[in-house]
Amino acid sequence: MSEDNQIINARYQGQRGPLFGLAFVTALLTMLSLGIYRFWGKTRIRRYIWSSVDGGGDAFEYTGSGLEKFLGFLVAIVILAVYLGVVQMILFYFGLTLFAEPTSAEMALAQMAGLYVTFLAIVPLIFFAQYRARRYKLARTRWRGVRFGAEKGAWGYALRAMGHWLLTIVTLGILLPRQTFWLEKYKTDRSWYGDGRFVQEGRWGALYPAMTHLLIGVGLILAGALALALQSPFIGGALSVVGYVWAMVGFISYRVRAFIYLTEHKLLDGDIRFEARPETRKIIGLVIVGSLVVSLIMGLAFAALAALASMVVGPAMMAPGPGHIVGLVLMAGLYLGALLMGGALSLAWITQPVIAHVISSIRVRGADRLADIRQRAYDTGADAEGFADALDVGGAI
Amino acid sequence: MQGSVAGTYFDGQSAGRHPVEVTIDEAAGDLILSGASLDAPQRWPLARLRAQGDHARRDALTLSLHAPSDDESPRDPARLTLSDPRMITRIRARCPDLDRSDLHRGTTRKLLTRGVAALAAVALILFVILPRMADTLATLIPVEREAAFGKAVTAQIERALGAARLGDLTCEDPAGRAALDAMIARLTGGQDLQYELKVKVLDHDMLNAFAAPGGQVVVMRGLLEKSGGPDAVAAVLAHEIGHVERRDATRHALRAAGSAGLLSMLLGDVTGGTIAVFLGERLMQASYTREAEAEADAFALKMLNEAGIDSAAMAGFFDELAKDEGKGPQLPAYFATHPASADRASAARDNARAQGTTRPVLSKAQWTALKGICG
Repeated sequence: MSEDNQIINARYQGQRGPLFGLAFVTALLTMLSLGIYRFWGKTRIRRYIWSSVDGGGDAFEYTGSGLEKFLGFLVAIVILAVYLGVVQMILFYFGLTLFAEPTSAEMALAQMAGLYVTFLAIVPLIFFAQYRARRYKLARTRWRGVRFGAEKGAWGYALRAMGHWLLTIVTLGILLPRQTFWLEKYKTDRSWYGDGRFVQEGRWGALYPAMTHLLIGVGLILAGALALALQSPFIGGALSVVGYVWAMVGFISYRVRAFIYLTEHKLLDGDIRFEARPETRKIIGLVIVGSLVVSLIMGLAFAALAALASMVVGPAMMAPGPGHIVGLVLMAGLYLGALLMGGALSLAWITQPVIAHVISSIRVRGADRLADIRQRAYDTGADAEGFADALDVGGAI
Repeated sequence: MQGSVAGTYFDGQSAGRHPVEVTIDEAAGDLILSGASLDAPQRWPLARLRAQGDHARRDALTLSLHAPSDDESPRDPARLTLSDPRMITRIRARCPDLDRSDLHRGTTRKLLTRGVAALAAVALILFVILPRMADTLATLIPVEREAAFGKAVTAQIERALGAARLGDLTCEDPAGRAALDAMIARLTGGQDLQYELKVKVLDHDMLNAFAAPGGQVVVMRGLLEKSGGPDAVAAVLAHEIGHVERRDATRHALRAAGSAGLLSMLLGDVTGGTIAVFLGERLMQASYTREAEAEADAFALKMLNEAGIDSAAMAGFFDELAKDEGKGPQLPAYFATHPASADRASAARDNARAQGTTRPVLSKAQWTALKGICG
């Protein structure tokens, strides 16, 4: 076969309108069902997004179901109810016994803040839930009829993630590339497509160039702080602002460049390789344009809402009788509806374009070898990411 | 072959692509797939065809077969993709069950058992285990720690009410303070209390008073102005002392620490979720406090009786609140979680009828001084 036949391109074919409609309707149903529909809603949005991704003309498929997510959530609730309820209260009790008499308002505030440290009790569970959620999503992803999958290992991941985070924090971020690389390697080396195994190659030190702009930003902020200390408020202020923006952009640039490096050093089934060319500039542009559009539409929606409130609901509320209750409920409903619209708009206008850009920058080399990959066995998906849903990790998709 | 279109078949065993010719056998009610790379033509009964839902591409259809399996849903792993619009229309017309989502046998039972188990676990934790633990831990905590926590709580409240510095809102007029101390002495005379009471008045027009952990009681200026007289203020104070003695504030803080995370977890990241969590907590708080309030009321009546203070003023105070409750949304914050004011008023009135001789808790001059405590 010629070299060209061995390359397939990934494409993203989702559109804003249908995704917005889907996200809005599922959010509305979620609200009306007091949150229960969220499992089905998330599943339907995933089905849409997965089916928008295609490799070599063949679309991906998401085969999870809302029902199994709901069932997994019920199991997670039983375990978390016991763990969280009891652990939180015991930690709170010990927090109380450490209390000394506050001598100032600041100290009193610090002590109240100290009580919230009890939330640390859920940190290991969050990492555990993240790995499990990833495993479930892979187990429910198919391409050309063949399943993806991941091995068990959520506790190992939680332990490593906590260790790496601790190192990163203690070294003030210097070891961030080490964390990024090793956690990605832990996950990649346990991932499969059919009977083909993924392997993460490369070394963590190679991620340092990706940090360039992040470090420049941090350096500018430090210089700004120095200038402020040396009594030059104008230069100090300017440097801090520029440094802050630079660091924000630098962080996105780090994530993009780390993604490129890690993707291009992944290997599937011995000799299938990947190329990824997402651009930081393009992503930032998409986010800015998307945010502008979303805030414009939301601004109009809220203005319309305010006009409606002053013209229709306001007088109804002043009127005697049950009018004010009806008005209040109506207003609250419209307000929540506008919020739901905001969530759906940002999914369709910000999240989706970024996904589309990243996906369509990916190429697979050695694709003719894909035909040799055999199906893998069904994975129950454990709790169907019930823990992630209960702890609310994982975001929109 | 007539009506034959191109499709792509994946056998569910490997990631190989199989280009196929697809036709509908109307007589047999089958979809027939044939291609060079297939061993033999496949026959898919139209009745068992299922399409992928929420598909992003309107111009393509991905089909699978309904079949018993151990997978997440009862489907054969093989897939067929079609993009011929006329074929898609024909299949849609011929297959009424195309968009059905089939369930494994026994799913309903699984759903019921797990749902009941989860509800039972949450109810057990929220209404049995957490309250019991809170009661036990509240008695274990050293009194001086509790007092320190109480000071932190009152400091928080002062800040929330707008005090720039701690103590800015505290009312310290000496004559008023003396009247307040006289009232406390009258109420607690001869009583064996576990806590050293620290009552302070804050300069705020809210009709409110509360007991923080460790003997801290806070009275708002609004209560002095709107409650209707010194005996009513004494009744409210006695009620708060009841909370102090029962360590209610500490127990509630412990309970809330255990249940807040749980509630937000149950409801998830719903829009308006904060409102739902707030309402849920409010509801639980109400179910916890109802009992505590009834006991604090009983404690207050006993204290008033022993101090020889007329509980008719308490009844009058509750009557005023009951009127407010009738007005709808502007429920005073202080009573939002309390039992119905009308019932509490009649309990206080019944008590007043059985009371022997009573005398006012404060003289006219003392009452004027107390009302002027904030200057």
